[in-house]
Amino acid sequence: MSVRGAYELQLAELKKEVLHMGEEVMETFSQSIDILRKNHRDAIAPLLQKDEKINEMELSIHDQVTLMIARQQPVATDLRMTIVALKVASDLERIGDLTVDILKATKRLIQGANELELMMLNEMADIALQMVKEAMEAYHEGDLLHAQQVASIDDVVDKKYKQFIKMLFTSTKDVAMEQAIQLAFIGRYVERVADHATNIAEWVIYEKNGQHLDLN
Amino acid sequence: MLVKTKESLEVVKKIEPKEQKVVYNVDQLNLWYGDVHALMNVTMPIYENEVTAIIGPSGCGKSTFIKTLNRMTELVPSVKTSGSIYYRDKDIFHRKYKVEELRTKVGMVFQKPNPFPKSIFENVVYGPKIHGIRDKKTLLEIAEKSLRRAALWDEVKDRLKENAYGLSGGQQQRLCIARCLAIEPDVILMDEPTSALDPISTLKIEELVQELKKDYSIVIVTHNMQQAARISDKTAFFLNGELIEYDDTSTIFSKPHDERTEDYISGRFG
Repeated sequence: MSVRGAYELQLAELKKEVLHMGEEVMETFSQSIDILRKNHRDAIAPLLQKDEKINEMELSIHDQVTLMIARQQPVATDLRMTIVALKVASDLERIGDLTVDILKATKRLIQGANELELMMLNEMADIALQMVKEAMEAYHEGDLLHAQQVASIDDVVDKKYKQFIKMLFTSTKDVAMEQAIQLAFIGRYVERVADHATNIAEWVIYEKNGQHLDLN
Repeated sequence: MLVKTKESLEVVKKIEPKEQKVVYNVDQLNLWYGDVHALMNVTMPIYENEVTAIIGPSGCGKSTFIKTLNRMTELVPSVKTSGSIYYRDKDIFHRKYKVEELRTKVGMVFQKPNPFPKSIFENVVYGPKIHGIRDKKTLLEIAEKSLRRAALWDEVKDRLKENAYGLSGGQQQRLCIARCLAIEPDVILMDEPTSALDPISTLKIEELVQELKKDYSIVIVTHNMQQAARISDKTAFFLNGELIEYDDTSTIFSKPHDERTEDYISGRFG
């Protein structure tokens, strides 16, 4: 029998809750891109409501961490695990907010995005989503190499974002400026999602060995 | 696929040691109680004006270690030692080194407060009197100075002639610290000094330790991990008579290098 069985169970539960929050965040982000692709505006309002649930999940994780520090006084790896749960939850919450921003910008679009714009945004979003998914897997497994690999993809997203902006503002003959601005915002939000996935990967490394690495 | 990183993952950032004077140099210390090998090849320096915490589960040798520093273990007949302990560059096991000389420089505070059945004043000046100081004014000055340093003066200044047993447990322990300070030691050894005290008295002693390290070097054995984390500069983790890890307290409690240290400080055994 473990000396601190209940405590270890609490640590495992905390991680489980962060992973569950990650699933919710990925699901809503993926749906927001789907709405953009299909220009399915009726689905925007119900999806916006999901952000509240994500915010509540973050607060619940904060409360659990506060209680755990107060009652169990974790140290060393245990302390990093509790702090990292807090940090990952914050990054996930920010991805939730960016999803809300994508939905609002989609609502402001004068018309649906054209084929080329959609293709480029889709590509970026697919990679960003994959990064979040893999960052959360690395978090689940405590896998340093996996975390590093996630971060290496961020450069690809950055590059695609630049290409997207260039395309938007060099071929605006038949695109209204307001439309182009909203699309640029969406591109920016997707690029920020990838940045948060990189942050999560950095926290995985910190949790594992206490080192702060700037992978971005 | 590896990506750009500021430094390799394998590199452990080492804290550069600042220039510090060493009070004790313990080298390959072994100690046996009869056939029981209680300390095994312990090698560690103890630095000046620092608080060094000794932690480890019961029976790991931490109390034995601290008692060896002022040769108190010699009171046990079956004790045998090998290796060396240098205090201020002098070998304390050398046959010409007088134990009395060592103990005037190295004071000790024990787990349970152990005042003498005498007045508060007599308790504090007991040591100086043994060393031949008889002048009342001088003794009073020593008593006041020591009690002030032990953060007890304000509480007892009007009842110096009362019996020390009338004090609370926390006050008695600070009196024992005052008694220890009265002989003007260089090092203070503390063997679980707060384990018999309530939380407020414990915090008072901890505050006092922080204050005292400006002028003394302190070695403290503690079972209370949070206490070691709160008050010490360096921490040594002992297990089954071996020194497993010795490092800055901030490293021991955040990124210990040995898994056994991590398991112990996070309460997984002990």
